[in-house]
Amino acid sequence: MSGKKKADLKVIILGDYDVGKTSLICRYIDGKFQTQEPTVGAAFFLKQWGPYNVAVWDTAGDERYSGLSHFYCRSAGAAILAFDLNSPKTFESLWARFGSILEAANEDCLKVVVGTKLDLLNQSERDITAEEGKKLARELNEHLDLKKLPHEPYFETSSLNNQNVKEVFEYIFQHCLPLSADQQKRYNTTDRKSVIDLMEDSGEHSRKKKCC
Amino acid sequence: MSIKAFELVSAIERVKLMSDKAKTQIECLDVCGKNMYIGTSDCFVVHYSIEEKVQPNGRVTFVTEKQGHKFLVVKKPIAQLRAASALNRIMVLCDNTLTLLNMFDLEPIVTGAKIKGVVCFCINENPIRTNPFSVEICVALKKKIIQLYTVTEDRLIHLRDVSVPEQALTLGVDGVCVCAALTSGYCMIDMDSGHITDLFPIDSEQTHPVIKRISKEEFLLSGPSALGIFATTAGVSQRPPMQWSDGLSAVCFVHPYILAMNDEFITVHSILDQQQKQAIPFQGGVFLGDFDGRIFVASSREIYSLVPIPFEKQIQALLADKRVGEALDLARNANKTGMTRDKFLKMFKRIQQQAGFIEFSRQQFEEASQLFKESAMDVREVICLYPHYLPTNVNFTRSVPPLHEIADINQLSKSDESIKAAYKEFLRTFLEDIRGTNLAHGYKREVDVALLKLYAESTPEKLTELISVDTGCDLEDCVEWLEKHQRLHALGLLYQRHGESDKALGVWARLVDSKTNDPSFPGLEFVVTFLSSLADHELLWKYVDWVLEKDEELGVRVFTDRPANEAQSERLRPETVVDYLHRFPRAVITYLEYLIFQRKLEKEKYHTHLAVLYLEAVLKLMETNNVKKEELDIARSKLRHMLQISNLYRVQLILGKAKEKDMHAECAILYGKLEEHEKALRILVHKLKDYGGAENYCQVNSQGKEPGYRKRLFHILLSVYLDSSYERRDTLVAPAMALLNSSVADFDTIKVLQLLPESWSVGLLSQFLTRAIRMSMHNCRMTRLQRMMARGENLLIKQTFIEMQRDAIIMNDERVCAVCNRAFNDPSFVRYPNGIVTHVHCAKNKYICPVSGKLFSAGRR
Repeated sequence: MSGKKKADLKVIILGDYDVGKTSLICRYIDGKFQTQEPTVGAAFFLKQWGPYNVAVWDTAGDERYSGLSHFYCRSAGAAILAFDLNSPKTFESLWARFGSILEAANEDCLKVVVGTKLDLLNQSERDITAEEGKKLARELNEHLDLKKLPHEPYFETSSLNNQNVKEVFEYIFQHCLPLSADQQKRYNTTDRKSVIDLMEDSGEHSRKKKCC
Repeated sequence: MSIKAFELVSAIERVKLMSDKAKTQIECLDVCGKNMYIGTSDCFVVHYSIEEKVQPNGRVTFVTEKQGHKFLVVKKPIAQLRAASALNRIMVLCDNTLTLLNMFDLEPIVTGAKIKGVVCFCINENPIRTNPFSVEICVALKKKIIQLYTVTEDRLIHLRDVSVPEQALTLGVDGVCVCAALTSGYCMIDMDSGHITDLFPIDSEQTHPVIKRISKEEFLLSGPSALGIFATTAGVSQRPPMQWSDGLSAVCFVHPYILAMNDEFITVHSILDQQQKQAIPFQGGVFLGDFDGRIFVASSREIYSLVPIPFEKQIQALLADKRVGEALDLARNANKTGMTRDKFLKMFKRIQQQAGFIEFSRQQFEEASQLFKESAMDVREVICLYPHYLPTNVNFTRSVPPLHEIADINQLSKSDESIKAAYKEFLRTFLEDIRGTNLAHGYKREVDVALLKLYAESTPEKLTELISVDTGCDLEDCVEWLEKHQRLHALGLLYQRHGESDKALGVWARLVDSKTNDPSFPGLEFVVTFLSSLADHELLWKYVDWVLEKDEELGVRVFTDRPANEAQSERLRPETVVDYLHRFPRAVITYLEYLIFQRKLEKEKYHTHLAVLYLEAVLKLMETNNVKKEELDIARSKLRHMLQISNLYRVQLILGKAKEKDMHAECAILYGKLEEHEKALRILVHKLKDYGGAENYCQVNSQGKEPGYRKRLFHILLSVYLDSSYERRDTLVAPAMALLNSSVADFDTIKVLQLLPESWSVGLLSQFLTRAIRMSMHNCRMTRLQRMMARGENLLIKQTFIEMQRDAIIMNDERVCAVCNRAFNDPSFVRYPNGIVTHVHCAKNKYICPVSGKLFSAGRR
């Protein structure tokens, strides 16, 4: 039923198997952390951002779904490229696999590189430096004027400890669907109360249904 | 998660095919109205009539009868078969050739129109052209070309074609967009521009490609790993994929369910949440299709229909499993099944109500409240779950069939007090929410009584507002309830609200007497306020005693604070009240003050009574020792004030007592009242030495009298000052001088001069004399001025008079009265200043002209 409403922005999350893509989204949408079953194909979440609807598409990291990911990327306004901070392999596959998948996305697609599982990272023994991550982020977004962004599209997050998760999404939403300070203030109060959002949402739905 | 959405019903049990050869197998079928066409593996097309019958018990059965058959000579299986009822044709794909047959006799059409090298075809259900007597189809050729045709009764008209990189295995079409499964993956083809958008790759060896048009511009495709993937004509997905089982062979869709078939099962998914809802075992299925909302499935030799279970049944099953969200989702989508709007709304409301009770029983109060409100629930249904909360005389039976299986909240809470409290809290907020809204319309009493009971139990502070503002609470069992919970003040208010003032007062009296602690009760003052506006005076008298005994000063307000517009009543006549109040000295004073100063009653009796009471109070204070001076002063000044402003009391009576007690100030006032000014002034000057007071006395007592009176008073005062018989008259020289020079005093100068002792020097008196001369001069001049002005005025009037009389009026026989038009018989007549002449008796008003109505002022012009 979510598909009925035309979303104002499509955000897709890509990345290798088991880097924590679904966990990242669940932490943001539901506000809690729980272990996830492997995603089959793709999954879909709807998020209110001010007056807008944002569709967040979660993809399966498994390589056999590569073809599908390509399809689900179509007309995405922003992409989150997730990798496991503790696994250089997952970082490399961002270069290798997912760069090309995003060709199907919008031309001005914002690509945000996000390192996950920060809680497991031993800072003294890290293989992928933040500099490397930022470098990738810059390269992927060569088509955009990065000066307009508050900082490079690179984040290091932990879904378990809820570090930087909200920031990633709001960074994207604010870039793609800027809200004025006033709007932000107005909507931020209800930001965390997802209960209210859902109620409003369903209320709107039922009204819509009755009309047709 | 399971739900029974469909039921498998046999349609044609064993197809009695033309040849009873064992090999004959069903390949494909189409249903069009009451016609069913079956294509077999051995190249037969068989025509059945099929009719749906609904048994009285709700079961659906099918009656079929074979109509005919046709053998197509190529001996290849019939690959695809579609009926086009608009053209009376069926389209048959056999041996890679698409041909048309007559729908009824199954004979090939005369023109022999056909397309060769066809892999598959499909009908465009959203055609570009709107000619109702044509059908658009899309055809995939072996030559890696996709073509659009318009089919008419006897012709196949080629529209356009697009080359594709690989051979298409199956097709879907919507408008100008064709969705095709090529050997390596799906693509979306715009037939207008020829543009091809790749969707996603599949391994057609492993995955059987399926394309099912779901709605306008949306297809459902079978993807890798048995995923069902939605794709729009724009090449994007708007719904998450769904998980099917392996070996999928066919898919069909009847809103909101997607049915998918593999070798062993037919699975049912909901398009609303992409979850599997039902799995129907079905072995060896070869064909599955939806035909105008009817679903038919075929194994190699048998045909069944999947009959949808009515929505209501499905929803009831969900509700029975307490799957509220799913039930509501399904219900919301039920109006797409052709139900009328009214029926739908009725059904939906009922489901919401049931769902509400389920949430209620799970203590999901927010959801329950929302559902109750949205479904416009009869509020009594909710209240009746709380034992004793409905008014006892309400004859309410729960709706049949029941909306729920809840007995009452005791059952739900299993006697756990905290849960019970939560339920009551819910009821309270719910009723508060709906109070005064449409939802409570007609049930005001039920709602208010329930609220009253809840408040009485837990939140007594809200009772007052509930009862006093437009309440629907009746007396019946509220009284008992309030008594039980000791909410006596609320009980009193309730009685008052219902006009039972006697009972209300009884309750309040009980409350005051018993000292029971009801924090909401404002105390005796409240009762007094109530009594003071009570219209029933008989009842009032019943409680007056009690109130006055409690508190005299407060109690008397019953009489003094009456509403201004109250009708006079025999029972509240001042005499009656004064007589009654004798027992209460302070109350009687307050009441008399009220009568005299506020009501301004001019009755000697009250004035004297009050004066005497004041006097008594003063005397009493004088007699008691250790009385503070201020207290006495206040009492005396009250008395003096009274004596001064009132003229109605019996002066002699008071004077006698005042003299007795040497109350000089009072005596002075009293003498003043008796016009014995000399006595009064002597007291003021000699006894009290209050010279200012004496001067003031002269002024006060001469107010409103003629100037001579004032002069006389001041003269008396002066003579008192200069009284030679007074032994200490030296002390009075200074006040006498001050009086003479005072600007307020007024004298007859000559008399003063006669009175003044010889010995006083002119220097001493110069100020007074100068003033006196000036005054005299001034008076003289003023008088002259007035005289001259009067004379001038007199002259002016004389002039006017002469002017008016100067003109002669000739009276003769022709002259008639301006009013009655008759001749004048008398010598006397009336002439108005504007020249109108009338009879004397016709001139009714000498200031108003009888003809023109002109007004002549009595004075000057």
